Amino acid sequence: MTMSMTKLLKEGPKVVNIGVEQFYADLKTQKAEAVSMDWKPSAAGGDLLARLKKLRKGGN
Amino acid sequence: MPSSNQRIEIIRRTYYDSVTLMLVAKELLKTGGVSVASLSMGTEANYKIMGSGGFDLGGVDATPNDLIIAVKTDVPEGEREALLEGALEKAKEYLANPPGRKADSGGDYRPKSLDGALSVLPGANLALISVAGKYAGDVAMDCIGKGLNVMLYSDNVPVEKEVEIKKAAAEKGLLVMGPDCGTIIVRGVAMGMANACPTGPVSIVAAAGTGLQEVHVQLAKRGVGVLHGIGTGGRDVRREVGGIMCLQAVNALLADDEVKVLTVLGKPPAPEVEQKILQAVKAGKKPAVLGFIGGEAKGDSGGVFICRELEETAAVAAALAKGEDGARARENLFREYESLRQRAETIGRRKGFLRGLYSGGTLCYEGQLIARDILGPIRSNTPLEKEMKLEDSLKSEQHSMVDYGEDEFTQGRLHPMIDVSLRAERIYEEAKDPEVGVILFDVVLGYGCNDNPAAGLAEGIRKAQSAAGDRIAFVASICGVDTDPQNASEQRRILEELGVHVCESNARAARLAAMILEG
Repeated sequence: MTMSMTKLLKEGPKVVNIGVEQFYADLKTQKAEAVSMDWKPSAAGGDLLARLKKLRKGGN
Repeated sequence: MPSSNQRIEIIRRTYYDSVTLMLVAKELLKTGGVSVASLSMGTEANYKIMGSGGFDLGGVDATPNDLIIAVKTDVPEGEREALLEGALEKAKEYLANPPGRKADSGGDYRPKSLDGALSVLPGANLALISVAGKYAGDVAMDCIGKGLNVMLYSDNVPVEKEVEIKKAAAEKGLLVMGPDCGTIIVRGVAMGMANACPTGPVSIVAAAGTGLQEVHVQLAKRGVGVLHGIGTGGRDVRREVGGIMCLQAVNALLADDEVKVLTVLGKPPAPEVEQKILQAVKAGKKPAVLGFIGGEAKGDSGGVFICRELEETAAVAAALAKGEDGARARENLFREYESLRQRAETIGRRKGFLRGLYSGGTLCYEGQLIARDILGPIRSNTPLEKEMKLEDSLKSEQHSMVDYGEDEFTQGRLHPMIDVSLRAERIYEEAKDPEVGVILFDVVLGYGCNDNPAAGLAEGIRKAQSAAGDRIAFVASICGVDTDPQNASEQRRILEELGVHVCESNARAARLAAMILEG
């Protein structure tokens, strides 16, 4: 089996939380290693990325 | 000019997750005089939801990147201004310090980019993504690009996107758990809606969120822990996705020496996917239990046990983990189920229809399978057969079971495992129907769930009891353990004080509920 998945299962989760803050709080309660992102739609790809791709293809 | 009974404020370029926003809205509703409260990002879907909530949105020009706070009141005109102003202030206070946050994490640094997050937490190996579905696929692809495994809690990710994400992840040897994956456990750490159970020799691959919770809890009740619980999202084992992640996870766990017993859970997969899972598991030479709920596959062979229910799956897996006979564990369990008939007798038979009100989708599905064998056809918003679909999910007909976790109930609302108020109201509504004899419901505990669901449901039960007297018996199962944040024993005490007949599993509760109406 490949490294990445095995590493997760062997070492345990080190989590980047993106979204619901409660999940981050629950990870902290369990003393798991975690960081929570200050995520915003425009800052993280999503729509903006799709629009840029469209522009590159000559769409609008 | 009469003063308006609503107030809407737009906070530009401000993002909050939907759970936080809905928790704040719920808190505002506890303020006397506030009749409707809504906090949402300015998306088209949210405009529609607010419009149907009775808000006049004329002149509102929020974009999806702006937060809209909207409040309505029913107090007399002279008091409106101050009340609405106060409610808006309160909303902002709650946003600065969100209600229901269970750990002190408010002051932690929050990086604005994925690269920033990875520099704060070098060696990160998992992204837990719960942003709106329309963004979630792209965010997941970014994370896979950075070598992270992904738990995709978000739903509303198109199936084509799911396949794209999973293929990209599989090439890199990464796991994608989801979309619409509510629960995972990695080395005993619970994520999403998951229970605080011990770590141990069993590992689970599940295409069923509350199915994973129920088996996790049932194993704990038998003194057996779980090392990993890998959710795949329900669609993974369907033909369109082909079981990509289910098979990836099965193979990883079969190769893992720490995993002593493997369990695979879900509604029955597509036949070709089921065959692949069966082949992989048989080749793995590790004791295994396949719990395909309501599946057609029968017959245990070569250390692989085939089960049709959740507690059965857990009972067999627990026996195997203890080096005991799995088949005997199953026999003993079904013998215990027979004794529920005596309990039904003691409770006192009732006449009429069964009404099941569920927060867990897999629990609702299993409940229907069990009750159908005893009572005949069960109608539902998520029926076993198409022709049993309820015309209106809000109106039960004959024997009915409703899954409140379905999209129709969660659009713009908190999941019923977080907000029990809709089910509490429905319990009362059902009790007013003179043809109802038993009301059955689940109470799902764990991280990410309501702090005290039994107390929330109790309001509905008390009203129902005053409307129906002794005509209706109440039956419930609690999916939880004492180490959960809500404490299962405490939840049980609240329900039993009201005369609710609490069972140790969903399978038992569905049987008992149906047996009370039998004959």
